[in-house]
Amino acid sequence: MEDMVGTQPQPVTIAFDVMGTDHGPAEVVRGAAMLSLESPHIHTLLVGDRTLIDDALAETKHNGERISVQHAADFIGMDEKPGEALARKPNASVAVAARLVAEGEAQALVSAGNTGAGVLACARHFQLIPGVRRAALATVYPTRSVRGAKGDPFSLILDVGATVEATADDLVTFAVMGSAYARIISQNERPKVALLSNGIEPQKGPPRVVEAHARLSEMKDIHFIGNVEGIDIPKGTADVIVTDGFVGNVCLKMLEGVHDTVVELAQYAYKESLRWRAGLAMLSSGIQRIKDITDWNQYGGAPILGFDKIFIKAHGRSKSRAIANAGKVAAKVVSNNLGAAIREGLKK
Amino acid sequence: MSLPDRIDPRPPRRIYRWDLDKTYLQTEFDSLRDLVRTAFQKAHQKVAVPGASALIRELSENGDSRLCIVSGSPKQMRAVLEEKLKLDGVRWDEFVLKDNVGNLLRGRFRALRGQVGYKLPAILESRVHAPVEAEEVLFGDDAEADAFIYSLFADLVAGRVDERVLSQVLEAGGVYPDDALRVREAWKKIPVGDPVRRIFIHLDRLTPPAHFTPYGPRVVPIFNYFQAALVLLADGHLTAPQVLKIAVEMVQTAGHNIITLSNSFQDLLRRGLPLQQAAVALSQALEGPNKLLAAMRPMPDILAAFSKRLAALGTPPPPPPVQAVDYVSLIHHALPRNHKGRTKPQ
Repeated sequence: MEDMVGTQPQPVTIAFDVMGTDHGPAEVVRGAAMLSLESPHIHTLLVGDRTLIDDALAETKHNGERISVQHAADFIGMDEKPGEALARKPNASVAVAARLVAEGEAQALVSAGNTGAGVLACARHFQLIPGVRRAALATVYPTRSVRGAKGDPFSLILDVGATVEATADDLVTFAVMGSAYARIISQNERPKVALLSNGIEPQKGPPRVVEAHARLSEMKDIHFIGNVEGIDIPKGTADVIVTDGFVGNVCLKMLEGVHDTVVELAQYAYKESLRWRAGLAMLSSGIQRIKDITDWNQYGGAPILGFDKIFIKAHGRSKSRAIANAGKVAAKVVSNNLGAAIREGLKK
Repeated sequence: MSLPDRIDPRPPRRIYRWDLDKTYLQTEFDSLRDLVRTAFQKAHQKVAVPGASALIRELSENGDSRLCIVSGSPKQMRAVLEEKLKLDGVRWDEFVLKDNVGNLLRGRFRALRGQVGYKLPAILESRVHAPVEAEEVLFGDDAEADAFIYSLFADLVAGRVDERVLSQVLEAGGVYPDDALRVREAWKKIPVGDPVRRIFIHLDRLTPPAHFTPYGPRVVPIFNYFQAALVLLADGHLTAPQVLKIAVEMVQTAGHNIITLSNSFQDLLRRGLPLQQAAVALSQALEGPNKLLAAMRPMPDILAAFSKRLAALGTPPPPPPVQAVDYVSLIHHALPRNHKGRTKPQ
């Protein structure tokens, strides 16, 4: 991720929910420490158990001028039910962090913890942007083609779980929000937006998709390319793929499953035959190159779109590099005023 | 032994010892190119670490202190360094520089980069002439061995290090016999006391603060001189308005702001430094009529920022424990960075 270019960027404070991640608080602290060294305009507010944070910070190279800590006694684990857990633990780190962002102590929230708890904490503390009925959880997926000034090898898919039953209105809103996000993060002036359906024809799909298709076709500020099918996601036919949370989540899990299966098959081949092993060895530099290009650690995290404040959800398995990059994404979104871009898009 | 550069008839109550490169001056000498550039820089091209000159000026305002500079820069740089200090309004009492040409001519190659054999005798010899009751505060950086040497100096003067440990350290540090002799002779002349109050280590290389934990709470790693000023306010060396003057200089000349200053404040609190009273004193000073402090306005924002950082931590953390320093096991801290023994033993 690149920092802002041109004039000196304005200082931005990003709140990090330090707790509840797969690799433990130290990994998030190391990511924030990395950020303090790499991006002078980004200040981090670490929210979580103060003792754990301080112990990790003391052992890590960092710039103490750019880091502050907010103690939060509780946290929500990955396996806890978000609603119940937040009710039981009002001072959980993610809730405290969301509150601090809402109060203006920070401009964005990054969490690698329980996704549901993060979304729910934001829903409780943030306001929906006028014109947005439901927020959308977005994610990025590596594609064959690249896009934007940065040559971004990821497309954005939304919603992947926040709004299970989306209306046509919601789908149009998701398209506007996704388009604004892609413009800012991928530096893609005119991102191609598509609806996920079971055929490319405008009349294909359930009524809400057909209606959304008709309305998006009339929106001049959205570069709507029509419907795409599941096969188009990895091809990179569209830069922003819009669907409801139910389909999006199923789709995302299936894509992740395919990826895991391919890796397992490669491992099987490696063990089974010397010839296959030799073949894989010959391809190894190319495989590594693809892995580097599509490494989600470089992307950092994916946004929850629709709130007046920014929430970047980093992967639960995020290591320090991914956490630092999630912070940079958050700062970039804040600096480019995504909220205003979405509001503007919804007016048209 | 250098004679004092300035004779002050009054005995000093406090002695402030400063290193120059990376402590007072923003110096780069990690590569040959950096070294050459530094050597040919004119006084006005040299840049002080933000807040350093303001801190020295404010400390000397009290009128009962001495400023002793011991730098590893070669003696040939004296003129340009003195000019730089004068440009910054800094007045010194002692200014010791390293005789690297002499070391080279005498084939003392270890002494070119070695720190223990140079700084330890220099500051011990300086202490010989100080009044017994004079307190000391030392300023160094994390680039070389300042935390080690300053702590060893403090513990030698306090009688907490014995001859056996000193011998082991001098030997492991590659100190030449004549320098070792100077150390022992000066040490014997100094009356036993415990004058060293603080050792500030400027984190020029952003070394993790835990690296300095073995030296105990006397050593305070700092990211900037606002942090040193806060601790010196708590220790009674500065007043709150003086600390604010230092902050003002950092805001005006180095791009510091409410966030960096309040984060710096909280960083020290989290490390267990008792600054709550200092925060109160600063708040009261900010409410005063001093026009200079207008640069720090809007005052409510500043007060709120500091109060929030304080409240964010809940109960104050306990102060770090006082412990004896094991110099023999820390000797790798005192060796030049590319020395084969610098790597910490497993």
